[in-house]
Amino acid sequence: MRRIEAKEAHIKPLPTPDLDSQAYWQGLKDGRLLLQHCTDCGHVQFYQQAICRQCGSETLEHRAASGRGIVHSFSVVHRAPGPAFKQDTPYAVLLVELAEGPRMISSLVGGDPMAVQFDMAVELVCETISDQVVLPRFKPTRR
Amino acid sequence: MANPASGAIARQRSIRGQVAIVGAGRSDVGRVPDKSVMALASQAAKAALADAGIERSQIDGVLTSSAFAAPFHRFSVAFSEYFGVVPTFSNTLQVSGATAATMFNIAAAAIAGGLAENVLVLGADSLLTGLSPDLALRSMTESRDQQYEMPFGIPVANTFAMTAHRHMKEFGTTAEQFAKVAVIHREHAMRTPGAQMTTPITVDDVLNSGWVTTPYHKLDCSLISDGAVAFVVSAADRVGACKAKPIYILGGGECYTHEHIFLMPSLTTTGAVQSSAKAYAMAGCSPKDIDVAGVYDCFTGTVIMMLEDLGFCPKGEGGRFVDDRQITYGGSIPCNTHGGLLSYAHPGMPGSLLHFLEVVQQLRGECGQRQVTGAELGLVHSLGAGFATQATTILGTEATL
Repeated sequence: MRRIEAKEAHIKPLPTPDLDSQAYWQGLKDGRLLLQHCTDCGHVQFYQQAICRQCGSETLEHRAASGRGIVHSFSVVHRAPGPAFKQDTPYAVLLVELAEGPRMISSLVGGDPMAVQFDMAVELVCETISDQVVLPRFKPTRR
Repeated sequence: MANPASGAIARQRSIRGQVAIVGAGRSDVGRVPDKSVMALASQAAKAALADAGIERSQIDGVLTSSAFAAPFHRFSVAFSEYFGVVPTFSNTLQVSGATAATMFNIAAAAIAGGLAENVLVLGADSLLTGLSPDLALRSMTESRDQQYEMPFGIPVANTFAMTAHRHMKEFGTTAEQFAKVAVIHREHAMRTPGAQMTTPITVDDVLNSGWVTTPYHKLDCSLISDGAVAFVVSAADRVGACKAKPIYILGGGECYTHEHIFLMPSLTTTGAVQSSAKAYAMAGCSPKDIDVAGVYDCFTGTVIMMLEDLGFCPKGEGGRFVDDRQITYGGSIPCNTHGGLLSYAHPGMPGSLLHFLEVVQQLRGECGQRQVTGAELGLVHSLGAGFATQATTILGTEATL
């Protein structure tokens, strides 16, 4: 097991794309949230991988999601998981159910975290973190 | 090729009654700043061996969890060296909080399959004094996925919080009912020597203890502790060689429904349904037969959800079940009579082994003022990683074989 060193704990963890997910992270840099559609069984999946989780097919297409979804569940973090997130509290971690079906973890931008409600409509915001990383966040929207 | 006989043969294969826990012990638990992880582990292992009345040289199998504060790649092997044993069967297991139960399942299977005779099952860590609090928390976050979860600052607590939150929406479970879980666990800890938290608390104390991650307050969350727990597991036909009253493994079941929280099939019904169904079927009993339980209590809402999924009450009724004090003495299923992770101690991976220790001691009739009268059949449910890993174990006295 890897030990977390003290100075490392002050840096926010950022995603490192792998061979399965390069298109996904590139898509966000282009302002699109890509989902995988199985051309054999029609299953739509998040996250990107080499096979369809439903039927095992390897014929998968990337298609941009509408970016709309609802809050399936949420939790507002008041005690940060380590020093890197301390200045952000309170922040709302969202379990977003996308209009296309899949769910994903994200966090709220542009709204009061304590005003988040179940089934609240949200919309994708592509937030540039660095030259390399754009994170998919969500803001409140009208249905 | 389908062999008509293979199903029948598979049905006969079972660990039921094949092995027994013949020794159990723990280190100092709670705040233990003067002992390394390995020293805690050795203290627990010595206590388990003394309890069984067997020599260190008779241990030929070693199964352990890993430790945050002693990050060996092969903790079981490093411990064997430190403790001075040379096992011919060993592994370091990692399925988060469910690891405790899986060690017993694998020990039982290994003994039944002739790979080992006396297996030491051990968990040790030093999360309270071996890591700074920030690093302990960060270590917990590191167990979430680095691409799709961690960048959003999601502590493990948050995954459990989102399930509890959804349970409130779907079934009307209340913050007061969550708090009641903490209150009852504190009552239990007050009767347990060595418990980390023994000051009485009220529902209001829980609700006023400050948010951690909604809907959880500080007192809805389990402790951070140091400690180690160890057991000796041996073949049922060898129990006569040990001095402690043997407690038999009657059933084991596991289930792994997802890795990422966003792929959990339902936020409010978990893989504990499947893991417990398998364990009950193997043991040949049902929830109403269980006399005493250890239910993983990393958060208050976790207990409420597990009471439902383990079959102790109907789906959605967990909150009311706790409100009615069904999880304590005089109720239908006394749970976590030592005080659990919420009030006794939560040293990480060994946390669930403390539930095993309590249920074993209950079934032996050794619990003094905590004793559940006439306890013969016990259940321990371990889980982890936002309900990703689930394992149920059913234990019983000789009378239940």
